[in-house]
Amino acid sequence: MNVKKQILKKIIELIILLVVLSFLTFMLMYLAPGDPVEKKLSAQGTAISQEVLEAERERLGLNRPVLVRYAEWFAGVLHGDFGVSMTDEMPVGPRLAAGLSNTMVLALSSLIVALIVSIPLGILSAVKQNSILDHIVKLLSFIGNALPNFLISVLMMYLFCIVFRVFPVVANNSFNGLFLPAISLAIPMAGRFTRQIRAEIISQLDSDYVTGLRTRGVKEKDVLLRNVFHNASPHIFTIIALQIGTLMGGSVIIENIFRWPGIGRLVMEAINGRDYTTISGFVLIMGTIYVVINFLSDLLQQSMDPRSIS
Amino acid sequence: MKLSKKVLAAFMAAGMIFGMAACGGGGTSTGSSAAGSSAAGSSAAGSAAAGSSAAGSGDKILKAAASFAYASLDVHKESYGWYTSIYGVSESLFKVDDNSKVVSCLAKDAVAEGNKWTITLNDGVAFSNGNKLTAEIVIKNLKRAAEVNKKYAKYADYKMEAKDEKTVVIDTGDKPVPTMKNDLADVTLGMIDIDNTKDFDNNPICTGPFVIKEFKPKGDVTVAKNEKYWGGSVALDGAVFYYMQEDDPKLLAMQSGELDCYNSVSADAMAVYQKEPDKYKVVSIQGSRLQFYILNQKLDAKVREAINLTVDKDAMAEFLKGSVSPATSPFASTTAYSKVNIPKVDTAKAKSLIEEAGYKLGSDGIYEKGGQKLKLKVCYYAARSLDKLAVLMQEQLKAIGIDCELKVEEDADATYIKTKDYDIAWYCMISDKTGDPQYFIDTTLAKDSNYNGGFTNAEMDKLIEELHSETDSAKRAELANKIIQIAIDGNAFGYTGIFNHTTVLKPGVSGFAENSPYDFYGIDAKTTK
Repeated sequence: MNVKKQILKKIIELIILLVVLSFLTFMLMYLAPGDPVEKKLSAQGTAISQEVLEAERERLGLNRPVLVRYAEWFAGVLHGDFGVSMTDEMPVGPRLAAGLSNTMVLALSSLIVALIVSIPLGILSAVKQNSILDHIVKLLSFIGNALPNFLISVLMMYLFCIVFRVFPVVANNSFNGLFLPAISLAIPMAGRFTRQIRAEIISQLDSDYVTGLRTRGVKEKDVLLRNVFHNASPHIFTIIALQIGTLMGGSVIIENIFRWPGIGRLVMEAINGRDYTTISGFVLIMGTIYVVINFLSDLLQQSMDPRSIS
Repeated sequence: MKLSKKVLAAFMAAGMIFGMAACGGGGTSTGSSAAGSSAAGSSAAGSAAAGSSAAGSGDKILKAAASFAYASLDVHKESYGWYTSIYGVSESLFKVDDNSKVVSCLAKDAVAEGNKWTITLNDGVAFSNGNKLTAEIVIKNLKRAAEVNKKYAKYADYKMEAKDEKTVVIDTGDKPVPTMKNDLADVTLGMIDIDNTKDFDNNPICTGPFVIKEFKPKGDVTVAKNEKYWGGSVALDGAVFYYMQEDDPKLLAMQSGELDCYNSVSADAMAVYQKEPDKYKVVSIQGSRLQFYILNQKLDAKVREAINLTVDKDAMAEFLKGSVSPATSPFASTTAYSKVNIPKVDTAKAKSLIEEAGYKLGSDGIYEKGGQKLKLKVCYYAARSLDKLAVLMQEQLKAIGIDCELKVEEDADATYIKTKDYDIAWYCMISDKTGDPQYFIDTTLAKDSNYNGGFTNAEMDKLIEELHSETDSAKRAELANKIIQIAIDGNAFGYTGIFNHTTVLKPGVSGFAENSPYDFYGIDAKTTK
């Protein structure tokens, strides 16, 4: 199948997926106890009378059949309008776009840091398998992977903001504000990547073609970088592609601790407030991101390893 | 040497990537502000220090943390008026003082004659643009609040008239409204220069000692001194409210000197601050947020009484490490309407009551009757420490022979409060909104109230009716005490704790509403740093 056909097929799949996803999300939110009116009016902890709740539901159109509301919302989306938030009646589209772009900056920064750390460590650990260095790398990657995000974040903040006083605690979305959340996100990711890269490289090193290359006297550096790493790359790219999807969903804990205005925080607030429109918009965008990234990952894998096309 | 060059190059590359990413972040931030803020073009506060410069120079800029942030500053919508009040931007006709008494603010007084209230405005009240606050503008504000916020829809039904420039007459028709002064102290009814405000969401023109300098929707808020403040001089040059949800960063920011104060201090952070009294001043007073449980009236009256004689609110408050005070009534103990008697813990009496109800202690230590174990369904939601209280209650009741099945719900109102499918239901709400008990009594004890497990009492209903028309505050307090006492004697509820309003301040900082039991006050003209 050529690339054009593949793209067309993916677009059709994506449209079907988005319709199903958004419909299911809308219905699940509808079925969940509570509604946006009750959530927003009682947000401060004051009790609200049933009359007030009913009047507000009527005003926001929440008393209309759920299918009608879904159809209206979806028709708006087809025209590029994601509707207004049920919580504060502000447009959802620009808010999602802003949250997503902030999350993208944080996600890419942390991914780059994680790769810079994990690729050399993973290769080194595989090459020096069962050495002290390998054990140290395995231990560090285990610790990095096991530490919960909030603990890493608070430790980073304590170290860099209180002990070394390099960064402010109250930072914003500038370099000062990006460094610590990116490192905090990168540490567990680097731990995971290191172990996965190590395993992939070891599996390549055990292959017959490596024995052949070494027998023919090919330099170890060339064996490693030109052959082993090259052949391991498609698998590594798949791991990275899957991670990008997860990263783009945002990290509520890290965003909250470091005051990073990403999509995770936005969506968590929307879920707590039963903000149907924001949640449905988020699901559509994330569905698209996952599908596109997986598709690009497939294409990349095919270009690097033509055998996978079949 | 080659290796170190490569390492250096890798670090430089990483630095460049970070730099580029950071530039991208800055750009998106402006875009985000543009979506909803008029301040989009203004420079974003990159750090605490930058935040200070955004608000002005000098050290008279207060830096505080805010646990909540919203998308709008429209005083009348939702509860955004709480925040414009905290920021010192908006003021209402009256305010509630530290002793829960309604006192003058923009209005001098309000006098009732039958169902007509005459409200007189204070002299010289003006908005930050210099325009006078007149009776007509007050009426426009109340009508707008009724239009944009269903909680205040009743103001659309009242007949309101500007008798002269400083006198408003509100006729409530057939229905007496004895709490008019309290109602007008509601910070959501803050006054806006409606005719001249162009952007209600981002820059409302109000009467407070501060004006909005920069507002990031759902983010930080910077205010500057209102140079034309009608109430006299303003001590601070401005303030920055950093949106910080998490407790640990707030603690670290206090320690690093980036914050001057904040409230809603967690119990763990409070313990840290209290170890260094020369560096931090901690003020903790009883607030207005009540933790309580509702007893389903389908339960045997003796079992209900036994439960209330067993639940140890002192032990619960101790477990919550100073974040709550044991409740001696649903209201703060400083109020006139908190004078009730709650029986002390008496587990021996509790056991005998259960036995009087026909239960016998089983071999497993749990009471049973007719082969049925005494097992109660306890519903709660995991917020405001209710999850911890439910578990403590389970332990305390089990100790006397009552078994409990705990059921957690994410949304109490849409589940057990609505269906009343519980034996015991935990809830937390603000019991005192504006220095009067009627709101809480109406919410929990009046006929058809949601937060009631089926408790009724003819005498109580009569007293509630009287409360609805009594204007004298001393008599109202007396009535409220009688009503609440009936509910206590009837074992309708168990009032366990009132959240403390805890504020931490750096030495020299004062006036951050640290002595107010209410969550909706913050800085004012007297706040100093």
